[in-house]
Amino acid sequence: MTDQTNTPNAKTVKRTTGAIALAALLAAIFITPVVVDDQFVYHIFITICIFAGLSTAWNIVGGFAGQLSLGHAIFYGIGAYVGIMLTNIGISPWIGMFAGAAIAAAVAAIISYPCFRLHGPFFALSTIALLEVFRVLALHFRDFTGGATGMMIPLNIGWEWMVFRERLPALIIAFGMMCFILAVAWWIRSHRLGFQLVATRERESAARAAGVGTVKVRLFAVAISAALTAMMGTFHGMYLTFIEPESAFSLSFSIQIAMFALIGGLGTVFGPLLGAVLLVPLTEFARGALGAEAIGLHGFVYGAVLVLVVIFVPNGLMGLVGRWFSAREATSGTQAAEVATPEETRTFTPPEPGEEIVRVRNLNKHFGGLHVTNDVSFTLREGEILGLIGPNGAGKTTLFNMISGFLEADSGTVEVKGPDGKWHSPTNPADFATLGVGRTFQIVQPFAAMTVEENIMVGAFHRYPHVDDARAAARRTAEKMGLGPYLHAEASSLTIGGLKRLEVARVMAMEPRVLLLDEVMAGINQSDVRRAIDLMLSIRDEGVSIIAIEHVMQAVMSLSDHVIVLSSGEVIAEGKPRTVVEDPQVIEAYLGKEFTHA
Amino acid sequence: MLELSGIHSGYGQTTILQDVSLTVTEGEVVTIVGANGAGKTTTLRTISGLLKPSAGTIRFDGKDITKLSSHETVELGITMIPEGRQLFPDMTVRENLLMGAYRKGAQASQSQLMDEVLALFPRVEERLEQKANSLSGGEQQMVAIARGLMAKPRLLMFDEPSLGLAPIIVSQVFDVIDSIVKTGATVLIVEQNVFHTLKAADRGYVLENGEVVLTDDADALLENPHVRKAYLGI
Amino acid sequence: MDVFLQVVVNGLLLGGLFAITSVGLTLIFGIVKVVNFAHGEFLMIGMYATFLISTKLGLHPYAAVAAVVPLLFVLGMLTQKLLIEPLMSARNHDIQIFATVGLSTALINLALLLFGADIATTPAYGLRTAIEIGPIRMLVGQIVMFGVATALVIGLHFFLQRTRSGRGIRAVAQNRAAAQLMGINVSRVYMITFGLGAACVGLAACLVAPLYPTSPGIGTYFVLTAFVVVVLGGLGSIGGAFLGAMIIGLIDSLSGFYIGSDMREVAVFGVFLLILILRPQGLFGGRLKLSHVS
Repeated sequence: MTDQTNTPNAKTVKRTTGAIALAALLAAIFITPVVVDDQFVYHIFITICIFAGLSTAWNIVGGFAGQLSLGHAIFYGIGAYVGIMLTNIGISPWIGMFAGAAIAAAVAAIISYPCFRLHGPFFALSTIALLEVFRVLALHFRDFTGGATGMMIPLNIGWEWMVFRERLPALIIAFGMMCFILAVAWWIRSHRLGFQLVATRERESAARAAGVGTVKVRLFAVAISAALTAMMGTFHGMYLTFIEPESAFSLSFSIQIAMFALIGGLGTVFGPLLGAVLLVPLTEFARGALGAEAIGLHGFVYGAVLVLVVIFVPNGLMGLVGRWFSAREATSGTQAAEVATPEETRTFTPPEPGEEIVRVRNLNKHFGGLHVTNDVSFTLREGEILGLIGPNGAGKTTLFNMISGFLEADSGTVEVKGPDGKWHSPTNPADFATLGVGRTFQIVQPFAAMTVEENIMVGAFHRYPHVDDARAAARRTAEKMGLGPYLHAEASSLTIGGLKRLEVARVMAMEPRVLLLDEVMAGINQSDVRRAIDLMLSIRDEGVSIIAIEHVMQAVMSLSDHVIVLSSGEVIAEGKPRTVVEDPQVIEAYLGKEFTHA
Repeated sequence: MLELSGIHSGYGQTTILQDVSLTVTEGEVVTIVGANGAGKTTTLRTISGLLKPSAGTIRFDGKDITKLSSHETVELGITMIPEGRQLFPDMTVRENLLMGAYRKGAQASQSQLMDEVLALFPRVEERLEQKANSLSGGEQQMVAIARGLMAKPRLLMFDEPSLGLAPIIVSQVFDVIDSIVKTGATVLIVEQNVFHTLKAADRGYVLENGEVVLTDDADALLENPHVRKAYLGI
Repeated sequence: MDVFLQVVVNGLLLGGLFAITSVGLTLIFGIVKVVNFAHGEFLMIGMYATFLISTKLGLHPYAAVAAVVPLLFVLGMLTQKLLIEPLMSARNHDIQIFATVGLSTALINLALLLFGADIATTPAYGLRTAIEIGPIRMLVGQIVMFGVATALVIGLHFFLQRTRSGRGIRAVAQNRAAAQLMGINVSRVYMITFGLGAACVGLAACLVAPLYPTSPGIGTYFVLTAFVVVVLGGLGSIGGAFLGAMIIGLIDSLSGFYIGSDMREVAVFGVFLLILILRPQGLFGGRLKLSHVS
């Protein structure tokens, strides 16, 4: 495979081309209506800006965080209503805009928190239900909202009141707000929050193991998204000069917002903009040309385009653009090899060997009728490599899940000695990560939509909050793991061996004190096994204590200081690798009873 | 009866099997042994049509079945007893067994098959009306085997029948397999419990990193130091 | 007391309506594991078809069943084959949501284009006539609907539990890989199930059309409640959906009478949100995992 074209040179070229295209697009959106100077054209471009802004804001939660909200009109409606209510008592919508944003952010956080445990369609359904509740409440409390008759804005004209006779000032505001929302989205995507959101979306377990507070980051995302949506809502309310519950808290409006993002490219920064730019004029012109006969036409086109995009270009239009870029790069052949620049590794004082760092006592776990771990106890010492072996289905991975906070034991305790020298009893992945326990997964969990470097950065953010530091740390780790040449490759393009190393690299970037490795050598070829063994030894030499589940016997024998054998959920043998492997019980568990006499 | 030649297969972009060739003749018991991740299960999944090979051909009774889907290979009489039991958890044991006889070739003789199979598994008969997910691991494995037999298979494929079971249960499972073998069935077993399977089998293949590295009579493989080394590192 | 009794009976009859519109939805979810956001639009299509058949051909709306049910069955199969199946292997499963959301939007607006926003009234043939039993008033059409809903639920339950095809369908839902190894053609089962789910809502459409005015947005109106019913009953549980429908019918009727008719939806959706958050497997669902912990 020679498709590692995203080398720095190519990346720079791509970025520059992208920036020029974006600037041109934005300039066109602003200049076209000014030059044409037609009421209808102005209206179309203002509508484009509004929808692009709303979709971009939606995309922060729907795309980056992968929480598919179909009730974003809640926040839009809150913004619109708060803005107009305050205007009615003489407060400028410029202030109302922020009041609305604050309320929307608070509402978003409160209603989303319990809903985050719901995924996919269930989150979407709960947002639809909430939207219905808000709509009915807006209809019900007539004294505040005017009920079904809606609310008009007082006709105070001028910048202060966001109401104008001409169209140009409205375009300036809409355009400015759209650019602001785009800037916020871009900032999030290129900083820690964005990495953590995408990681959470792609693989929640892996993100939690990497120390990401998955609930917290999603709450941030939904609050920001709601605030931005509400601000646009305030402006749109003023622009329309009239609002009523059916249109302000409308399901089809919510769907439309999400649609543009999906058609443009879910989770990309500029996809929603692209979606709005292409679809709004198309349908507005059709509506203008066909008039009342075409009622429903624009909705039909939106729906049909959405279905086609979902089936044929699931990455959206931005995906097409990306493909076009890749194709060009492949032909122009800008392939520069990444020069490995090993940086100085952190200095480390090896701890006194032999002190206990993890204590596991009497762990029990049942799944239905199966007793998966039966009274398992063991101890890990600092600087030790503990091999955990046993036949398939012996309960090794279940044990790992319990000693990393992913699964609660029915009974028994797991204690970890913290950097403070005190014993802690962590209960969830975040606590384990904080104490310096990092784990890999048997089935590799790459964040497929990210590059190798970005994958490792998710782990590095655990120690380095700033993006540049995290990037540097990620590069150091990548070099060490032999992933240097692939930094800018998509994680999904790696081989199995590469993915296994990426899995370890992500955890190593967290700079753990205790490392739990789940079959990192399964399915990789012999030369890779050798490298993996060297790698583990060098990790141990840095003072990291390791528990490794492993099937490759050669590796277990040459690596482990101590071996535990698990069979049918019970520890059947324990001790030095040599002694354990000659234990008749172990041979029996592995090869079958009579083999012991063979 | 079954012949694989030059099979390459895997999941999506990842190739796991490299140029695997093997044969099973009628009435024979053949085993594939190998470490985790060697590609044993992938081989069975490819034969049964759950995975489509990227290269090579599979023949069954001389007929090319490379491109057939699993429901078509089942109709031909190829039955796979999957790794980790894979019962239908909310169905009763009886319903699970009836599902085994779903294929057209077995439906008509469904009740007769049920009697035959239950004669082999007295324990299963006691549990007929229980939900499958209320059984213990060993019982589930027995039901899975019984369900496989209900298909009246011409070729029976076992995927890791000892998976996750206590040694004593493993012995019982192999006793059952032995008694099935004695009826003259054609069997292909994938296992990491080398001794039991080689004892039961006529011939064996050793798979490493998706390639067949060794093939011989089962007795010869039992004596082979390479096999011992590959499995225990001694 | 009489008033309370009337409100309860109204609630149960309403439950019959909710049950018959939800049963197909829960079937599709339980087996194919897809939340069909276009379910309401299937109902809308069925209602327009019933309207056209009864006005243009002068037939009793119930006679339209013969045409509408097969029509919806085919529509459901096509949706599965052309829309859902290509997406089943997609990396991002959530994208399926948008496929059916897109379909729903397209169908609503297609109806707007074809029929306009005005409501279409299917001839009632006496189905909107009230009959009185003691102090209780009921519409003939409502009683029929309640009866048919009950029969449909019992029939589907029997089909799934007792027949070979039904067992095959359940097997696919419980363990797709094992079902394949039993010789089941899974993609065919999915198509048939989607078709059945759609056919159920087709049957519902013929019964609903004479009682409610048909409009392009009618599907959204009914489907939101159907989602509530299905989640309450435990997604994929036919019997659960029936009980859920009765509960929601009662809540709707009681809250409408005692709190205020404009607040009924708040009560219904409030219950929905509580169930989603506190007991996402539904009141009667047991093992169905909704939020996956991978």
